[in-house]
Amino acid sequence: MSTELAGHPAGAFATTVERGPRIAAVVIAFGWHVVINLPAMLAQWPDYRRPWVVGAGWLIFTVVGLIAAANLLYGTPAPAWPLIGVLLLVDVAVFASTPASALFDSANFGWATLGWFVVLLLWGRRIPALVAVLAVGAAIALVAVLFVRGGDPADLSRYAMYVYGTATLPVAMMIAVNLLGALAGSTARAAAARTAIETERAAAGRVHRARRDRLAALDRTAGAILVELAEGRADPADPVVQRRCALEASRLRRLIAESDDVPDPLLHELRACVDVVERNGVPVDFVAVGTLPALPVEIRRQLAEPLTTTLAAATRWARLTVVGQPEEVVVSLTTAGTSAMAPEPASGVGDTIGRPGGDPSGGRIEYVYEENEELVWVQTRWRA
Amino acid sequence: MGADPVAGVTPEGSRITVAIVDDHPVVIEGIRSWLATESRLAVVATGEDPDAVLGAGQPAADVILLDLRLHGRMVIDKVAELSGAGRRVVVYSEHTDSDTILAVLDAGAVAFLAKHEGREHCVQTVLAAASDRPYVPPALAGAIVGDRRSGRPVLSDKEREALLLWFQSMSKASVARRMNISEHTVKQYVDRARIKYARAGRPAATKAALLARAIEDGLVRADEIGN
Repeated sequence: MSTELAGHPAGAFATTVERGPRIAAVVIAFGWHVVINLPAMLAQWPDYRRPWVVGAGWLIFTVVGLIAAANLLYGTPAPAWPLIGVLLLVDVAVFASTPASALFDSANFGWATLGWFVVLLLWGRRIPALVAVLAVGAAIALVAVLFVRGGDPADLSRYAMYVYGTATLPVAMMIAVNLLGALAGSTARAAAARTAIETERAAAGRVHRARRDRLAALDRTAGAILVELAEGRADPADPVVQRRCALEASRLRRLIAESDDVPDPLLHELRACVDVVERNGVPVDFVAVGTLPALPVEIRRQLAEPLTTTLAAATRWARLTVVGQPEEVVVSLTTAGTSAMAPEPASGVGDTIGRPGGDPSGGRIEYVYEENEELVWVQTRWRA
Repeated sequence: MGADPVAGVTPEGSRITVAIVDDHPVVIEGIRSWLATESRLAVVATGEDPDAVLGAGQPAADVILLDLRLHGRMVIDKVAELSGAGRRVVVYSEHTDSDTILAVLDAGAVAFLAKHEGREHCVQTVLAAASDRPYVPPALAGAIVGDRRSGRPVLSDKEREALLLWFQSMSKASVARRMNISEHTVKQYVDRARIKYARAGRPAATKAALLARAIEDGLVRADEIGN
């Protein structure tokens, strides 16, 4: 139960923590692209070899950036590698259209901006993927520099600095984001564990409140019969009064005996049935001893169901016991012999013993039904 | 607190004397009326303070019926003290959780009786206790059956099954039918299981007396008891 509940807060917490960096990355990429690249491109416009190719390239970068941003912020699909391929092609095209004089300028925007857009597309993936793409970008730039300007040492040194400048910031950002993600994950797990504990505490609180409410209700009903007895309005010799007393006493006893903070499901089911029967005025003695192992629903059902039918038919009194051990659970119900009989599997009067057979999934359930003048006795027993 | 009003039916000397310690007078009166149905029993002292009821100057009681909770306090230490001194204490209480019952047995009480278990069990328990014989009311049987403590006595399958069925049905006749044995044998299995608990926990004079009587009655053999 707790893990199921805990899964959601963990995911939600991690997502919340990650959202800030995502927005920051989108703002950086578009800030660069609009505030720096756009004016530089417009200023360089007449000098580009093919201005419309550069303009289209700028627009393609924008579109790819929007797709990546939508994926990051809203989870819409974005095929990362094909889009990276598109960016690299645009990069090549912009290099090819940029005059030699503007090669190390913002007008050659593909080279400088590639990293930021690739960070958006490779969000959450491993760092080497980003480095690989940046290496391809650097190779394209090297070819262009060598081809356009020749092997001038000054140009090569500028090239090296430019590669360093364009690569380090996106890589640093990706590392920071991944660290933050890991941190968020562990924080989320801690939060989930805390939630699980709080859930358990809340369950215990509910049990406590339910118990207190029942005590308050008992206070009224048991108090009423005591007052009537004290004032002489109820006659202790009257069977109806005796029955009311027995009923209140058995309820009180059960309240005192309950010691589980978080109720065992089997006991919980049986108790619910006992409550119904008691509401019909039948006092039920309900005793559980030992510690119950965790049982699958199907086993619990097979343990409880044969008894609840007989319990529901009890008319005078009933005694329900549960004995739990790690390898065995025995549930037993006895009621007065003259009470209405459960139809299954008894036939006629006398001792009848039925065994519905084993259960292949989680051990064996044995069923015994016995009925005589003295009592009706139903017992189910699970063995691991 | 007065001798039993029906004294005289049987000579006082041959009757079993009982002291009742409870902090609720109505409970004392109720138990007194239960015990009055058995002519072999005589209530000789009652009160809410065990030291006053059992102190010097009071008639010596063969069996002490002691409410486990006196003025809001669980008096298990008092059970141990009295049992250590050889007094036969039958503890009765509404606190019927297994831990409490087993602690009471460990302390040396001859028997544990749940308050709701009624007259018949109460009388039988006191009669058995007076002769150092075990009597296992259903609540006590349940506590033993549910005992999961590491050092618990080892019961045989038959002993455990008899205890379990007795706890469930509260009818020795039904247990006998189910196990295909006589009622006498059912009682033997149940009593043997109880006697094994006389060996557990700290030693007490009452436990030694239970064991000695069980050997004398042939319920267990001395070599089964071990050291």
